Amino acid sequence: MMLATALPAVAATRNRTATATATVSSRVKLSISSSTLAFPNADPDVTPAIAASGGPLTITAKASTTIGSTVQLVVVASGDLLSGVDQIGISALKWTASGSGFAAGTMSKTAAQTVASWVSSGSWTGTQSYTLDNAWTYAMGAYSTTLTYTLTAP
Amino acid sequence: MLHVRIAPLLMACATSLVWCGLGTPAFAQTLVLSLSPSTITFSAADPDTTPTITAPSVTVEYEVEDNGSNNWRITLLAGGDLTTGSATIAITNVTWTATPAPPFQAGTLSKTVAQTLASGTGIPNQTGTVVFRLANSWTYNVGTYTASVVFTLSAP
Repeated sequence: MMLATALPAVAATRNRTATATATVSSRVKLSISSSTLAFPNADPDVTPAIAASGGPLTITAKASTTIGSTVQLVVVASGDLLSGVDQIGISALKWTASGSGFAAGTMSKTAAQTVASWVSSGSWTGTQSYTLDNAWTYAMGAYSTTLTYTLTAP
Repeated sequence: MLHVRIAPLLMACATSLVWCGLGTPAFAQTLVLSLSPSTITFSAADPDTTPTITAPSVTVEYEVEDNGSNNWRITLLAGGDLTTGSATIAITNVTWTATPAPPFQAGTLSKTVAQTLASGTGIPNQTGTVVFRLANSWTYNVGTYTASVVFTLSAP
């Protein structure tokens, strides 16, 4: 025993292995900076396309999906812009866009239009700037419709 | 009388010494290391509400016998990134905290360089608690990812 305590030690090792597991589930999240769009009255000769008074919508989409899958954000109108019996065809509503994956488009009441699309999981922010085509043919009134945005990821 | 004094030394050589000749003698320590549980589980969570996912703690029991006043160390080395199919989460997104500190210390997992979990000198016979955390992100693709993490107790 006296001899042993005076000796240098030989390197020794002992290993144990743990398994780390992380689960990522499918989920999507969508936020839009405003729930209303307003287009002010304007002279069709001076302002042939009326910009939304609130400025561009800021849209943030987040999605966890399988690798390589397409994440898609679409919008569809419930119908034409209506004011009593008067109407403005919804195709008069158009937008331009900025931000990765975002695209310009024209509103439809029959087929959802792509606002943006991406591949695989991520978080994206962009803007959508709406304009309404102006015309002397529009009857006076306050028109409205509903736009529904849908974010999908398989 | 001569035989009575020499016999215990020979026995020491037979039981404890790795090398018993002339020059620099040496001896081997007895190392004990156990983990409970031996799994590190990160559950699915919304990255916005849970930016950091905390796994249930891992209890580390370790013992080094016959170490004198020499150094000892416990290190962690990941076998690779967290992987499921072709999708990966960089293992550097996994960090840990541990108690008691010292001898334990916090760190970040690596797949290339063993990281020190605990270190000291002497003859420890203790227990530590390690809490692993995963930085959550919307960029992670759906799946169940796995990676191995090797705990190594070494002395001196």
